[in-house]
Amino acid sequence: MSADDLLRVDDLHKRFGDEEVLKGVSFEMAPQDVQVLIGPSGSGKSTLLRCVNRLTEYEQGEITLDGTPTSEMDENDLRRQVGMVFQDFNLFAHRTAKGNVTLGLRQVLGLSKEEADSRAMAQLDQVGLADQADSYPAELSGGQKQRVGIARALAMDPKLLLFDEPTSALDPELIGEVLGVMRDLADQGMTMLCVTHEMGFARQAATDIMFLDGGQIVEHGPPDTLFEDPERERTGQFLERLTSLHGDDG
Amino acid sequence: MPCPVPVPGGLSPDWQYVLENACYLGDGLAVTIELTVVSLLVGFAAGLPAGVVEVYGHRSGSRPVRWASGLVRNAGVVLRGTPIVVIIMLTYFAAGISPAFLAATVSLGFRSAAYQAQIFRGAIESVDRGQMEAARAVGLSKVQSIRHVVLPQALRRSVPGFQNEVTIVLKDTSIAFAIGLAELLTNSYDLFQSIGHTTAIFEVILFVSGLYFVLTVSANRALEALNDAVAIPGGERG
Repeated sequence: MSADDLLRVDDLHKRFGDEEVLKGVSFEMAPQDVQVLIGPSGSGKSTLLRCVNRLTEYEQGEITLDGTPTSEMDENDLRRQVGMVFQDFNLFAHRTAKGNVTLGLRQVLGLSKEEADSRAMAQLDQVGLADQADSYPAELSGGQKQRVGIARALAMDPKLLLFDEPTSALDPELIGEVLGVMRDLADQGMTMLCVTHEMGFARQAATDIMFLDGGQIVEHGPPDTLFEDPERERTGQFLERLTSLHGDDG
Repeated sequence: MPCPVPVPGGLSPDWQYVLENACYLGDGLAVTIELTVVSLLVGFAAGLPAGVVEVYGHRSGSRPVRWASGLVRNAGVVLRGTPIVVIIMLTYFAAGISPAFLAATVSLGFRSAAYQAQIFRGAIESVDRGQMEAARAVGLSKVQSIRHVVLPQALRRSVPGFQNEVTIVLKDTSIAFAIGLAELLTNSYDLFQSIGHTTAIFEVILFVSGLYFVLTVSANRALEALNDAVAIPGGERG
C-alpha cells in the first residue's frame, strides 16, 4: 500500500439480506494499473465493482479514490470520475451513438453543444465508430454497442474505468473488437478494473489478477504467477477451465 | 341566427330540421372539442408528474416527496373509484365551482390525470432498469436521469395508452350534460326537446353519434401518426 494509490478498497463487506456477498475485500490499484477480477458466478465480482462507484451501497469498509474516501464524495461527482462499462451495454436506446456520448458531457460536465459534439466524435473515432455516430443502438451490432459504451465512459475523462463482463453478452466473433479497444486503453495508461473471463486479455494486459471466491480475494498476483504457479489448487483449476473455455483468442 | 349550411331538398322534415340547426350543433361540437383538449392537457400536466412520483417517490430519501407520493396514490384511487357523473356533480353543485365549463374541465381533467398517471407509471416501469443505472453511472442525478433518459423512452411507450385515454375523455365530455354545459350532447337534447320537433330524436342522436365517431377516429389516426413519427429508428434495444 502506498500513498499514491489511485484506488484503495479496505475491508469491504456487503450483504444482501442474510447473505454476505463480500466478506472483507481489500486491494489497491496504482495509477495505470489494469486489474482483472475473476471468480465463479455469485462470488461478488459485480457487486464489488458497483460498490466502487456506489451504484451499490455497502455496510462496512472504506473505499478511497485518489486519497478521498468515496463515502465523503458527492455520488454524482464520484461517478463522473469513475466510468463504467456494462455487460448488457445499457446504451440509451433513444439516443444516437453520438447522443449517448454527449449526454454526460452536456448534463454533467456542462459543455456547450459544439464542445460536446466534437469531444464525442473524437471519442467515437478512438473506438473506430466515427462513421456510426448517427446510428441508434438498435441499429448497431453488439460489438459496436459495447464500443459506444466504452466511448461514453471515456468521454467523461475518468480516473478509473470499471468493466463489468464487457464481452459476456457478445457473439464470439465480436469479442475481439471490444478487447482490442480495451487493450489500446491499457496501453495508453488508463487505469482499469475489469471483471472478465477473457484470459487472453488478462495475460497480455493485466498488471494483476485477483481471484474472488466466496466473497473474498483468495489469490492476487501478476498473471504469470497465477497462470504458472498459483498458490492454491482452486485458483489453478478455475484458470485452467477458463483458459479452455475462453482461450487466448482475445 | 340563420345557419349558412345548405339544406338539400327531398329530405324528411326531421332530417331537414337537423341540418337547419347544424350550426347550433356545431357550437356544441366546438365546446366538446375545447373541453376535450383542455381536460387532456390538465390530465397530462397533473398525470405525468403523478406517474413519476408514484414510481420514484416512495423510495425517495426526502420525507415531503414520500408524503406527496402517498397523497398522489390515494387521490388516484379515489378519482378512479368514483363515477364521473358523481365527480362532475360534486364539483359543480356541491363545491359550487362555476361556470359549468370550468367545473367540467376540473372533473374530466383530474379524472384523466388519475388514469394518465397509470399510463405513465406503467410506461416508466417498463423502461429497462439498466437505462437508469447507466445514466447514474455517467454522473447524472436521479432527476436528470429521469428527465433525459427514462421519460423520453417512457413517453414514446405511452402513446398507445394515451390514445385510449383521448377516446375516453372525448366521449365522456358528454357527461357535462348533467350540469347543463352547452356541449354537443346538451345542444342535441335541446333540439329534440323543442316544441314540435320531438319526433326528430332518432335523426338528431344519429347525427351527433356520427360527429363523435368522426372525432374519435380522427384523434386516433393523428396519434397513430405521432406514434410512428417518434418511433426510435431500428427499435428500442439499447
